Amino acid sequence: MNKNLLSLFSCLFFMSVLVQAQDNEVQISGKIIDSDGAPIPGVNIYIQNTSTGTISEFDGNYNLTIPENSQIVVFSYIGFLTIEEPINNRSVINITMTEDTKQLEELIVTGYSSQSKADVIGSISSLDPAVIKDMPITGLDQALQGQVSGVSVTQSSGTPGGGIMVRVRGNSSISSSNRPLYIVDGIPVRDGGLSTRSFGGQNDNALSTINPNDIESIEILKDASAKAIYGSRAANGVVIITTKRGKAGAPTTFNIDVQRGIIDPTNTIEVLNAKELLALQREAMINAGEDPDGAGIPGVTDAVDTKWQEEVMRQAIVQQYQLSTRGGSEKTQFYLSGAYREEEGVMLNNDFKRATLVANIDHKATSRLSFGLNVNLARTKNNRVKGDNFLDGVYNAALTSLPYYQPYDEEGNLFAPGDAGYAGFPNFNPVGQAIEPRFDTYATKMLGGLYAKYEIIPNLYFTTKFNMDYTSTIEDQFEPSTSAIGGFLQSVGQQGYGIYSTTESSTLLNNNVLTYNTSIGDVHSIGGLLGTEFISRTSRSGSTVGILFPSDDFTYLTSSGLILDGSSFLINSGLISFFGEVNYKYKSKYLAKVTARYDGSSRFGEDRKFGFFPAFSLGWRVTEEDFLQGISWLDDFKIRASYGLTGNERIGNFQYLATWGATTAYNGIPAVGPATLGNPNLGWEQTTEMDIGTDIAFYAGRIQVVFDYYYNVTNDLLLSEALPFTTGFGSVLGNLGEVTNEGVEFTLTTVNIDKELNWTSQFNISRNKNIIQQLATDEPQFSGYSTFTNNTHIVSPGKPLGTFWGLKYLGVDPGTGDAIYYDKNNDGKLTADDGTFIGDAQPDFFGGFTNTFSYKGFDASLFFQFSYGNEMINFGNTTLLNSGEDIENNQSREALKRWQKEGDIASIPKYEFGNTFNNRFSSRFVEDASYLRLKNLTIGYSLNGEILSKLRLNKLRIYASGTNIWTLTNYTGADPEVNSLDGSTTAQGLDLYTFPQVRTILFGLNLGF
Amino acid sequence: MKYRFTISFLTLVLSFSSCTDLLNPEPVNLITNDQVLKDANSARVVLTSAYRDLASLGAPKIIAGDLTADNLIHNGTFTQYREISSKDMSASNGSASALWGVIYSMSYIVSFLNEGLPAIDIPQGDFDQITGEASFLRAYAYFVGAYTFGGLPIVTTTDVDENKKIPRATLEETLDFIESDLLYALDKIPEESFNSGLATNGAVKALMARYYLYRENWTEAEKYATEVIDGNGVKEYILEEDYEDVVSDFSTESILEIVYSANDNPGTSTNFSINNLFVGRREIIPSSEMVLALQNDGGSRNIVIEFDGINARGADNGWTIVRYGPFDNIQLFRLAEMYIIRAEARAQQNNISGSNSSESDINIIRQRAGVPLIQGTSKNQMLAAIENERRMEFCFEGHRWYDLIRTGRAKTVMDEFTSNWTEKDELWPIPLREIINNTSLKDAQNPGY
Repeated sequence: MNKNLLSLFSCLFFMSVLVQAQDNEVQISGKIIDSDGAPIPGVNIYIQNTSTGTISEFDGNYNLTIPENSQIVVFSYIGFLTIEEPINNRSVINITMTEDTKQLEELIVTGYSSQSKADVIGSISSLDPAVIKDMPITGLDQALQGQVSGVSVTQSSGTPGGGIMVRVRGNSSISSSNRPLYIVDGIPVRDGGLSTRSFGGQNDNALSTINPNDIESIEILKDASAKAIYGSRAANGVVIITTKRGKAGAPTTFNIDVQRGIIDPTNTIEVLNAKELLALQREAMINAGEDPDGAGIPGVTDAVDTKWQEEVMRQAIVQQYQLSTRGGSEKTQFYLSGAYREEEGVMLNNDFKRATLVANIDHKATSRLSFGLNVNLARTKNNRVKGDNFLDGVYNAALTSLPYYQPYDEEGNLFAPGDAGYAGFPNFNPVGQAIEPRFDTYATKMLGGLYAKYEIIPNLYFTTKFNMDYTSTIEDQFEPSTSAIGGFLQSVGQQGYGIYSTTESSTLLNNNVLTYNTSIGDVHSIGGLLGTEFISRTSRSGSTVGILFPSDDFTYLTSSGLILDGSSFLINSGLISFFGEVNYKYKSKYLAKVTARYDGSSRFGEDRKFGFFPAFSLGWRVTEEDFLQGISWLDDFKIRASYGLTGNERIGNFQYLATWGATTAYNGIPAVGPATLGNPNLGWEQTTEMDIGTDIAFYAGRIQVVFDYYYNVTNDLLLSEALPFTTGFGSVLGNLGEVTNEGVEFTLTTVNIDKELNWTSQFNISRNKNIIQQLATDEPQFSGYSTFTNNTHIVSPGKPLGTFWGLKYLGVDPGTGDAIYYDKNNDGKLTADDGTFIGDAQPDFFGGFTNTFSYKGFDASLFFQFSYGNEMINFGNTTLLNSGEDIENNQSREALKRWQKEGDIASIPKYEFGNTFNNRFSSRFVEDASYLRLKNLTIGYSLNGEILSKLRLNKLRIYASGTNIWTLTNYTGADPEVNSLDGSTTAQGLDLYTFPQVRTILFGLNLGF
Repeated sequence: MKYRFTISFLTLVLSFSSCTDLLNPEPVNLITNDQVLKDANSARVVLTSAYRDLASLGAPKIIAGDLTADNLIHNGTFTQYREISSKDMSASNGSASALWGVIYSMSYIVSFLNEGLPAIDIPQGDFDQITGEASFLRAYAYFVGAYTFGGLPIVTTTDVDENKKIPRATLEETLDFIESDLLYALDKIPEESFNSGLATNGAVKALMARYYLYRENWTEAEKYATEVIDGNGVKEYILEEDYEDVVSDFSTESILEIVYSANDNPGTSTNFSINNLFVGRREIIPSSEMVLALQNDGGSRNIVIEFDGINARGADNGWTIVRYGPFDNIQLFRLAEMYIIRAEARAQQNNISGSNSSESDINIIRQRAGVPLIQGTSKNQMLAAIENERRMEFCFEGHRWYDLIRTGRAKTVMDEFTSNWTEKDELWPIPLREIINNTSLKDAQNPGY
């Protein structure tokens, strides 16, 4: 935290200047310096047990008029130990203050203000970016994984720049976004995907446009006390990111960071070779009573035996270069940074590139007025490839492609769809599907803001901010006639398929905040803020599709023979808010806080335009009580509790209006058809949150414990109430459902050894119990992929979100080799009515364990991350282990465990061509996806003093870092940490040929001068 | 001076607060209910969205008519088609709810027009034309629905509260409702209208001919079929000479067809076009029996299928339906059907052979198809010939299942085709979601589902 901000906040403790009339007064003066001899401005100086006081000037000097009989003068300043100095009739008192090494005095950014950690009575977790700086992290959301209790982070796949699911204290919404609110330097930034196209379920990620190495601090607001200041946007948690800023009075420093490494997949799926597959297919035919030769299956041969996964994957390279500088005078400080990152995907033709630039400048114009700006620019290019639920994807097709075909013909040309010599539909050459199409997504991000801060009267500050988050996305796509869409589909014309689409979204924000803090003696401290905020959001998009290109050399729509599906669109939305906060502290012992926000949103119905979100919290610092004063080993013991309301405003735009919209023209005549049934009462989803927690520190801060229990009830969930089609509509939206999240969080931070060898550990573990309490009707809803028993996922009262639904698999009948399923309704038949609950994606607990070591110049860190009790649908196995339902796809090696002859005790039913019964979706495809993963191991060495100064450097560190290097799991799919339907709340825990996480080994260099 | 900032702060707040625009932005591409109907033009635009629903009815009706019977089999990955093909339909079948949904989505628009049009200032001619076409479209949708699902809930208002608990009418009531819509349309749509992309007087009569045929009212069926064939003084529809031209868009014998354009069928959307199902994905292919029948037919009508050996593996016979090109229209009524309807009506009235008989009508179609002419000898022989003629002439146009059911021949024919056929397959199930969400339908499911 820079000094500028420190001095600002010391003013919170500035006493009101109430000079009592006294007969005899004397003057004292002096200078306050720190242990390095640097002056300390802003120190709070007062006479004990009175309200007489002042603060030190910029040069550390002070002057104070005091009653003649005064005994003791107190010097206090955040981050330093308070000094109680007897006056002893001196008129000059110079003081050297020493820093308080206890971490308790850290400043925590709490949204529109910041607060000393000791005074925080909400549940706020801080993440020091130092712990992630050596990891090859693309975006800031990735940084949260395994580091913070109560925050669960899942990367949806191992694709660079891909989607990441972040949940703070569970899923509170069923149909609306569950993503937390991300605030970067006071600006709510765009999250979710950049691209308008989901590739078989996978999205890209808007947060990948922000370079995590420019971040100074990350705070996660978790309970109502902390979040309510963000009102209707706070229910899913708030992540507050502060980028690096200049330091007053510090010499200008330069930093060079270089990272370069290699990437491999963490795992591959073992599939059959040509011989094994052909034998299996012939067996399936014979079991079905058909002649394999008549069915066109080649004889068993390994003349061609293609390892498709190897054909589409490569060893990829990641590299990042960054140059930054920070420094400043007492008046002006700056931080400037430029970085370039290039990360290849392990799949052919897949890569992510990013250039970023940050400029943060602060200036103190007068003793009262300061202002500054922050600018964060980024440009990214993401070459995507199709995957997951796309027949014409790459990794999925590599898994299922028949090994007795090959990607290239005898002349070395790629087989194109429909070519003789290559398997027909649904098979497409995965190598061609990787190399031939162009799926480029370009994003440009401008995140910027200006602020001014003015001290109106002592301790009363006015701050105004004008901020902007602008993101533009261009998608430039072409699928040539040698690819599936561009070359195979007759309806597309088989002469290429091109899309060009642009999306532009901007958020303009103005907020105006008054803050005031005062103390009455050293007994009462009162602080507070009052503010307004105006947010205007605009999203504009356009898209054009072209077909019938003259040849594959012409890949832009200018050359297309037929333009179709042109569209353009605009959405405006806005938020007007009023908010306030009051903090009260009695003798540093008893703390209380009241927060409230009043939000009006364009998304809410006419009859429910404004919502009110209050929160209350109390804290008790037990260690300040007299009865604990004798216990020297206990540094801090705080108990806190909070209660409040937050909302989720992301319910979509214009959902409350009854509307008609344009539909596709018919016979050349434009058409307008009914779009939605209106509901003027439509409003935010509301979460009532309760939290009880404690912060304990022992042995001079060497052991720190944070524990929280919470219970959150979210009601008024936005749900479609299904209507019979006879109304003309499928559904109407209403605020109908209820979900609860209850959980505990525990974090233990220890300094195990603090000698020449330093060893610190951080362990965090969380449990969240999510239960759907109520839906629109008693009938469950279904989600995910369609199956025999309806769908893979069910949304059912009494169950958590992400619950699986299907037949219960009881094994293989040793006599017939057929699957046995549980006949739930005991009617002797196997029907869709026999569907039952067969697992869920919610972990019993999850967390992380980090150990860091340093010895002389060496440092090392070992970071484990785990999730226990979560299950996964290995949905790819409905194709890769399909018991012969079709013979269009290769099979997993697990197929070798199939039933073959009477008496076999097998786990996989017999292979019989065309038999759908044995392959019905059942618990056979549900697996335990618990895992323990060595997420990162870093070893570094820093040069020490003498050599450094000879080299005129102040820092030189080299390191090696490995990510995802070891995983312990029983899951048989490629990776237990994936989600095929990125971003889905109701259909979590689904693996449909999802690309696994990647293992990165990189070498890095930090150079400071 | 100290308060200068406070004042400017307050000014700022006030100036922003006046910006209520922030909380009430205008939607684009959307208008609210009260803005929809203003004049004849806006009414036409609303009616066009009912044609959009007609367009959505095209593919499901072909699936129902051919895949439920013995003309088509499933060869792909989608459960909904597999179920229909294996005569194992569940109430949650996607094709059933798609077809059902379109009927009522169209019904809502027709009710909206019927409720809204009297309140606006619109010329009588436009009023008649629009409400006439709307009634025809609703009649067609209910006709398809009645013979697919049985008696339907009859929706005539836009009242959501009423329509969400509306009960099923009997089949008889549903058919009477269709008849009243048809009579209204016949009265309102002027005779001189020829656009085969829109509901015309000829289209109304063609549906009436089919309607009375299904209801076994032979004299009315013959009457309306004849009116369409003879035209109103001038012949509006002329038989193509070549079957190849019949299957192309806007043939001279086309009475009504659903018009598709490239915009309807981008091929990558989830709403698969019939071409994508038949050709792109080969999700559905002709049954081997159908292939044989078309080959044995001997004339030109087998041009609707093609063989490619590369596809012939396992259960796949290698044949593909090429009846519908990428953006081809779907013919709902064409003149040939009027001849065959009349042939059937005449046979039922024992007008078997000679001029202006069942035999002469059938032979007009057979001659065009290039297949041997037949001689009418008996009513039963003629009806059997007509059944076969309809299968050949209208293959993949969505007639077969409906024909087999209405003539009571389904069990005999289908038992031969598959052992899975049961009596329940004579109707599709009412979609499960309707049963769940409409309390009046709780016990109204079709038998066997």
